[in-house]
Amino acid sequence: MSNRKDCSGCQNPYTPQMARIIRILPQIQDHQLFQIQFEDQQLVKSFTYRPGQFVMLSVIGTGEAPFSISSSPTHAGVIELCVRRIGHVTDALFKLAPNTMVGIRGPYGNGFPIEQLEGNNILLIAGGLGMAPLRSLLNYVLDNRSKFKDVILMYGARNPEEMLFKYELLNLIDLADVKCLLTVDKDESKTWKAYTGVVTNLFEHVDINPAQTYAAICGPEIMFKFVLEKLLQRNFPKDRILMSLERNMQCGVGKCGHCMIGCKYTCLDGPIFTYWDAINLPEMI
Amino acid sequence: MEKPTVGIYGLTGCAGDQLVILNCEDELLDIAGALDIKFFPMAMTGNDEECPLDIVFVEGSVVQPKEVEMLKKLRERAKLLIAIGTCAVWGGVQAMKNEIPRDEMKRKVYGPEGKVFDVISAQPLSNFVKVDLAISGCPIEKEQLLHAVASLLHGDLPRLPTYAVCTECKMAEYPCLLLEKGQLCMGPLTVAGCKARCPSYGQPCRGCRGPVEEANAASEAKLLKEKGFTWLDIQNRLRTFAASADSLKIESIKEGTNA
Amino acid sequence: MKIVKLPKKNLAEFIGHLNSFGQIHAPVKRGEKSFVFAPVTELTEIELNCNRTILPLKKYFFKPVETMFNFCAQKGYEVPVEEQDKKYIIFGVHPCDIHGLKILDMVFSGRYVDSYYFARRRRALIIGLDCTPDELCFCRSTGTDFVDSGFDLFLSDIDDSYLVRVGTSIGDDMVTAADSLFREVEKEDREKYKAKSIQRRESFQTEIQLQDFPGIMDLEYESQVWEEVGEECLSCGTCSMVCPTCYCYAVFDELNLDAESGQRKRRWDSCLFKDYALVAGGHNFRAERSSRVKNRFFHKQRGFVTQYGRPSCVGCGRCKAYCPAGIDIVEVVNKLRSQTRV
Repeated sequence: MSNRKDCSGCQNPYTPQMARIIRILPQIQDHQLFQIQFEDQQLVKSFTYRPGQFVMLSVIGTGEAPFSISSSPTHAGVIELCVRRIGHVTDALFKLAPNTMVGIRGPYGNGFPIEQLEGNNILLIAGGLGMAPLRSLLNYVLDNRSKFKDVILMYGARNPEEMLFKYELLNLIDLADVKCLLTVDKDESKTWKAYTGVVTNLFEHVDINPAQTYAAICGPEIMFKFVLEKLLQRNFPKDRILMSLERNMQCGVGKCGHCMIGCKYTCLDGPIFTYWDAINLPEMI
Repeated sequence: MEKPTVGIYGLTGCAGDQLVILNCEDELLDIAGALDIKFFPMAMTGNDEECPLDIVFVEGSVVQPKEVEMLKKLRERAKLLIAIGTCAVWGGVQAMKNEIPRDEMKRKVYGPEGKVFDVISAQPLSNFVKVDLAISGCPIEKEQLLHAVASLLHGDLPRLPTYAVCTECKMAEYPCLLLEKGQLCMGPLTVAGCKARCPSYGQPCRGCRGPVEEANAASEAKLLKEKGFTWLDIQNRLRTFAASADSLKIESIKEGTNA
Repeated sequence: MKIVKLPKKNLAEFIGHLNSFGQIHAPVKRGEKSFVFAPVTELTEIELNCNRTILPLKKYFFKPVETMFNFCAQKGYEVPVEEQDKKYIIFGVHPCDIHGLKILDMVFSGRYVDSYYFARRRRALIIGLDCTPDELCFCRSTGTDFVDSGFDLFLSDIDDSYLVRVGTSIGDDMVTAADSLFREVEKEDREKYKAKSIQRRESFQTEIQLQDFPGIMDLEYESQVWEEVGEECLSCGTCSMVCPTCYCYAVFDELNLDAESGQRKRRWDSCLFKDYALVAGGHNFRAERSSRVKNRFFHKQRGFVTQYGRPSCVGCGRCKAYCPAGIDIVEVVNKLRSQTRV
């Protein structure tokens, strides 16, 4: 019975660990940044993750859902989740006050291949809530600045009022460490000081050697299409384009089946996939 | 937390769904303790017909103009309006023959005296007002009601099954009545939640809980025809409980456009 | 592997002995033509000639609905206590179902081990039994018509006796405990077994070519066949429920009336359900029924091969047998094979 596993000592991979909402920072309309800390002090110290990974968060009595981590592992102790109010679990999450307990398990997913990224230029391209996972990578890269060459962020939002982490990112514009290009589709308030237009327009301000660059993309489906077009025009190797994908996930550990794309589980093999993966997997984007 | 104020109303129907609430014998005290029930004439006196309500449960379908008014007023009074029972969700059995003009129907049933009734075709609540949650069933399932009440108390809407009765029937390993006995079973089209109660007694599903989203009635009709059922048998079964549901509309199935 | 012989006339007594190793479950009749695995105590209750039960063995280890946690606001999530030690015997398991179980063992192990599944799995003793294929069986095509592991005992019919292969130490204990009922295997028995094996192989009525099928799935990804099957499919979930290797599940929380405590549960799910690939916000990655049908076939016959080195279909014939719309996997495969795309 070689296949029969003895499970007497194995842990339950589905058990949420109790964690406390330390602080809730309102972002834009229907988006909040939740700062969360485990109750178990041991876990506070030992919990680490890679940029691009996600956790399963349980609102007690409502249910569980996946959320990508917005904080960087270089800042241990508190996990930050940037959440859009969009469904069953997030509706309930938005009703919680600071100091409420939630369940957290993870981290799950492959995350960005940070070791592989070292020594390269990093081009981050985000649209809308896509900034949530990329903020983790951005801050990780900035905290380990010497390990990377040029760092470029291209982030587009519909208008200035809908730009996530706006002030945090505006502060980066004057830094030498990173070329921070922010754009909005429309600026009706006429207060916006950075670019206007779609995110792909920002490519004209970027001169980068694709062979020494990794591009990390996250945003709405439609954005992927146009950004990919631009990257391929510039001869980006298909395996140097990294995309963070979203799927229905109910277990996070490659069992429940919902996030399956072709022969990959988004929760185990992703959520970070290369464009080469995408070509080989049907219906990925 | 303040107890939510609740009203329980019945439009045209058999009151069976309200009865399910009363039949929650073991849980009745908990329900009464958790909710501030302001209106439930089936169960109590001293009902308040004007107060604002956090939640209103409405049973039955709309068959009279005055019920339309009543329903609209309830919608204004209540933060959450919950349709309970297949009549409220889909129109129910009284919507079975909606294609017959009401005047003709009144004459057939009541003779010349029928004129005094002011009726419209039987319709689900959602034809007139926004429905926040639909708990179907003829009658509703007690377990679903209790979970719904608990979720509402917690501040969420409950998540009800969206899959078909076949799923629950298979989970319980009841022999398939369609395949084994060639019976006219609506299990593939009907939304689960009853734990396949009828098949558990060897009775085919009649579709009393209304259809699943995107019910493939054309394929069901095709397979039933192959089993020897007439188009009339199939039509009658399809429109027994949820004739108003787009996916069960017999006209479109006949034309083969629903597949 | 140790092999002994059990004369058929001793089977009833052997079943009696087995009761001391745990509760016996075996195929019994339900309805007019259906069978289910259910508790039994003696041979007369068992349908030895049952070809397939409605549900496969997964129902024992991966329950149709189960409570994963009891939760409350104060204590968080606690795993419900389940009896951990009592063994049970599942008797009369055909090779396809043993293969199905081996596939589920792979799926539920790996980097994250599903503790619910294995807590029950390790309590089960499997006694296999060979079978005669009917018109729906195509396990020969899926390479699952024979097993050499995954059982504690396996019984092969050689007319008046069974050849009993002993797969595990506890399997041997079961044999030893009823030592007087068993005989040594003789030359004549070996010949009978070999002849029977050929006879069984030749009795398959359904055969499909699957070895090169992953490549064909890729080629026929845009095939019209998916639209056709999508039109027939009722999305009723039957095929997923009865499949020995469908393991998808959905997780949901149910609250008690105190609105504070409750249960986190999981139930079998199906990739054919409309909301299977729906994400919060309303985007559905497989909104079309045809895309969901395609996904189910694709995962079984293509995706699983990449993941685990073999298709996850074991040829048991249940999906065909129980599909109300009569969708036949063999027919779909053959259509895809013979189709030339425009």
